[in-house]
Amino acid sequence: MNAKERLEQVIDNIEKVIIGKRNIVELSMVAMLSHGHVLLEDVPGVGKTMLVRALAKSVGADFKRIQFTPDLLPSDVVGVSIYNPKDMEFHFRPGPIMGNIILADEINRTSPKTQSSLLEAMEEASVTIDGVTMQIPKPFFVMATQNPIEYEGTYPLPEAQLDRFLLKIKMGYPTPKEEMEVLNRARSAAPIEELTSVISLNELLELQEQVKTIKVDETIRSYIVDLSRQTRQDSYVYLGVSPRGSIALMKASQAYALLRGRDYVTPDDVQYLAKFVFGHRIMLRSEARYDGITAEEITERILAKTRVPVQRLVGQ
Amino acid sequence: MTSIRKNKLFMAVLYALVFFMLAEWLTPVIVLTATGHKALFLIFVAAGLLMAFLRVPWWFSGPLKTLYILWFIVYVYTGNVFFTSEAIAFLWTDFGLNFSALMSQNWAGTTDVFRTVLFFVLLWMAIYLIHYWVSFRLSIFLFYLLTVIFIAVLDTFSPYSGETAIIRIMVIGLLLAGLLHLARWMEGHRILERTDKLAMFAVPLVLLVAGSTALALYLPKAGPIWPDPVPFITSFSGQGGVGSGGNVGRIGYGVDDSRLGGSFIGDDTAVFQAEVSEGQYWKVESKDYYTTKGWELTENVGESFVYGNSETVETDFVLDEEEELESARLSMEQGFPFVLYPYGTESFTMEESLDYQYSTVDQRFETYQDGEEFEPEAYEISFTEPSYSLTALRDTSPEELAELPAEFDRFLQLPDGLPERVGDLAAEVTESSETVYDKTRAIERYFSTSGFEYSQSDIPVPEADEDYVDQFLFETQRGYCDNFSTSMVVMLRSLDIPARWVKGFNEGELVDSDGDTDVYQVTNNNAHSWVEAYMPGVGWMLFEPTIGFTGASAIDFDLELDADDPEQPEEQELPLAEDPETAEEEEAAIASGPSFWDRFTDSISANRWKILWTLAGLVLAAAILFKIRHKWMPKLLVSYYRRGSGGSARFEKAYLRLLKQLELYGINRRPGQTLKSYAAYIDSFFGTREMSKLTEAYERTVYGGDEESVDWPELRESWENLINRTSG
Repeated sequence: MNAKERLEQVIDNIEKVIIGKRNIVELSMVAMLSHGHVLLEDVPGVGKTMLVRALAKSVGADFKRIQFTPDLLPSDVVGVSIYNPKDMEFHFRPGPIMGNIILADEINRTSPKTQSSLLEAMEEASVTIDGVTMQIPKPFFVMATQNPIEYEGTYPLPEAQLDRFLLKIKMGYPTPKEEMEVLNRARSAAPIEELTSVISLNELLELQEQVKTIKVDETIRSYIVDLSRQTRQDSYVYLGVSPRGSIALMKASQAYALLRGRDYVTPDDVQYLAKFVFGHRIMLRSEARYDGITAEEITERILAKTRVPVQRLVGQ
Repeated sequence: MTSIRKNKLFMAVLYALVFFMLAEWLTPVIVLTATGHKALFLIFVAAGLLMAFLRVPWWFSGPLKTLYILWFIVYVYTGNVFFTSEAIAFLWTDFGLNFSALMSQNWAGTTDVFRTVLFFVLLWMAIYLIHYWVSFRLSIFLFYLLTVIFIAVLDTFSPYSGETAIIRIMVIGLLLAGLLHLARWMEGHRILERTDKLAMFAVPLVLLVAGSTALALYLPKAGPIWPDPVPFITSFSGQGGVGSGGNVGRIGYGVDDSRLGGSFIGDDTAVFQAEVSEGQYWKVESKDYYTTKGWELTENVGESFVYGNSETVETDFVLDEEEELESARLSMEQGFPFVLYPYGTESFTMEESLDYQYSTVDQRFETYQDGEEFEPEAYEISFTEPSYSLTALRDTSPEELAELPAEFDRFLQLPDGLPERVGDLAAEVTESSETVYDKTRAIERYFSTSGFEYSQSDIPVPEADEDYVDQFLFETQRGYCDNFSTSMVVMLRSLDIPARWVKGFNEGELVDSDGDTDVYQVTNNNAHSWVEAYMPGVGWMLFEPTIGFTGASAIDFDLELDADDPEQPEEQELPLAEDPETAEEEEAAIASGPSFWDRFTDSISANRWKILWTLAGLVLAAAILFKIRHKWMPKLLVSYYRRGSGGSARFEKAYLRLLKQLELYGINRRPGQTLKSYAAYIDSFFGTREMSKLTEAYERTVYGGDEESVDWPELRESWENLINRTSG
């Protein structure tokens, strides 16, 4: 069974509980395969938690959930050392971050201090407590959700930290037909309980390794660089996509190519993922807000005008 | 964002080229309208372009230009260099005059100053437009094309000669268009950081333009197929003269007289200046063989004599021992490998040591230095004007003509096809004359008394079955010196009077006078032909049948005349003000040295129309073929790609070809559109699946680097299928 078939099995499995959101499921898989993390931005109740749980179950991973609240402390995330009077020593009690698949719910409701403890763990894949560094078990995949920032009582994530998420996805409401199907399924027992794993964690790690072998041709790399550069030159943009963003786009494209059963990246992969990779990395000027231009629209515009490479690069 | 437009050096080069292009517009306008002060206009253009280049704000450049225009008016119309009170008063008065003239709609009442201002405004506008084209549109092609058309039209329909201008324009225009194309290309491909590498593109461009120009100059050029469109156009518009076709040449001295006729326009290019006590006819040579269309030389007759500097030469004209030797000094402004000489020449002198080779065939003095042809720049001639005894002339009886030796036969030659009515007319005109001289004089006068008209325009070239003389005498009765002189020679010959056709220049225009010496300026307009006839017992004499010309032999009135005697002393006079001119084709600029530039201009001018029409035809054909290339390209491509082996390289080329064909067909791929989505569109358009199949294989090779998996022979079928659809 090749990579594509295995991945499709996983996606099909998740689709049993998440209806009509195949693209979201795919994107989550892409992030997981390329060691990235996902920022889900949406209103409550559209199935974010369900998605993560289904994903964890399908790959047989350890699932943890952190509900972020304003009074949550960093130690509530990474864990704490507790003094045990019996043997007169401190014992480390790992926090919920020490798991495979983490749902960080409503991340923008907690204080920046706690946010940064999570984001640092995401970036390093390890935590340091009382001078002891502990590796977080692999695979490690965080799916953070945030309410749209206009909502009250939120702490918007700083730009530097948004950059640590590979993709930003919006789930959106289901179509009426899909919603009917959701109701239909909800009448019986919660279907999530019946899900079983279809691939093992080791297989997932293997697939992650395989992503790195996907070929990214020189033309594609230059295309990615072109796109990133364009975001920095746009008159509406205050801060464009960083080189880290370019790397993210390349890695995500590799994972997506694997998902599509190819061993090379095409411009279509790049174009498809650019919207999800660039969306949270472009900081707009206030003029853009007056004109009602969003980062997604800027990305679309850049995609439309940037020449797609269709020939080998000659010389250079 | 750096742009090519910000590269100062590059833009400076563009503006300099534009300046030269504009100067090419200005020059003919100033020449044709006899406007002076070309330099001042050029300064205005240069300053305007400079300010546009430096992006001087309008509130500064506008007043500055206005000030310059005012200064120009003051300087040109009043002679003041500064704005004196007098100058300002002049400006004010003139403004008032023009203002009231305009208000009262009295357009003719406006002054020259007003027209000058209008011309400046026009220039101003032209500068602005070109500035806009160059720095905003990065495109000059339209202006370039217009310039070429402008110069071509002026060259054809006006006396302005654009022969070298058109070459300059081609070079400037090609450079300009090339550089602008490069600029557009660099902007279009966002090659922004590479402006410093401009030289990499610009140098080959310059080399290419220089190389192709040099090659084009050096290559031999064939003669014109269609000599000149003007008579053709006028004949269509119903203004044409008798006969068809025609040949409008520019006036001047030429060597080829085998086909006479056609119209001419004036050309006052200087040929030489003569310092002489009295205006002379300057002879170059004569011709003796009439072909019904023109003049040629009899071959294998005559002798050559070589004379040195100051050596006494022998011509057919005997020196008058009684007269004192006169001296003439000629300063040549065009080079000829022979000397021009007045009647009665005794010797030539010039600084260089030369051989003068005189041929009795055409009476030409060719100049040689060490065996090489030589073009003298200045020389002195001593001569005495021949004079003829009227008594002797009255004794020239026709009977003597029969006794002339055989060497005169070639001066009696007439073509077989000469219509009889020519001879009949000659006999009729000379019916009442008894002596040879009287007969000759009668024919010489015939033209001015019988309704003939002098004209240089609408003169036909005889058709294959027509005779040049017959056409002139009986059909058109209008023409210039060649018509008159040739007709007279032929008529004389029909009466068995030896005669020959002579070419050279008439007196020219008196431009200066210093005591006994007059200075005459002789231009191409003064090229002329006349007649020499042989009077038995007297010798060769000059006759001038052309209406309005005054050349004549000096007659010694040594007998008493009746009151009604036709002989009247005729002094050689200055040419009339509206001195009609003769014509020769200019391109025969007489075997000049093989200087590169001369050869170049000669061949260009000789083949101007052929080149232009051939080029136009080729361009049109190429344009049509190019326009419909999507129709015929696929067939070529299919057979091309069928040949040879497969391989991914071939497949890649074929695929890119297909993309181009599809664009030509009209299905454009947007810049941001991926091949896959384009392929999907193509397939839905044609109702196929083949484009997607090809695209997948192509993506696999290009993006995936997997070149082994391509099976070109298998893919080719799909490819051919698609490419054939694009030719529909």
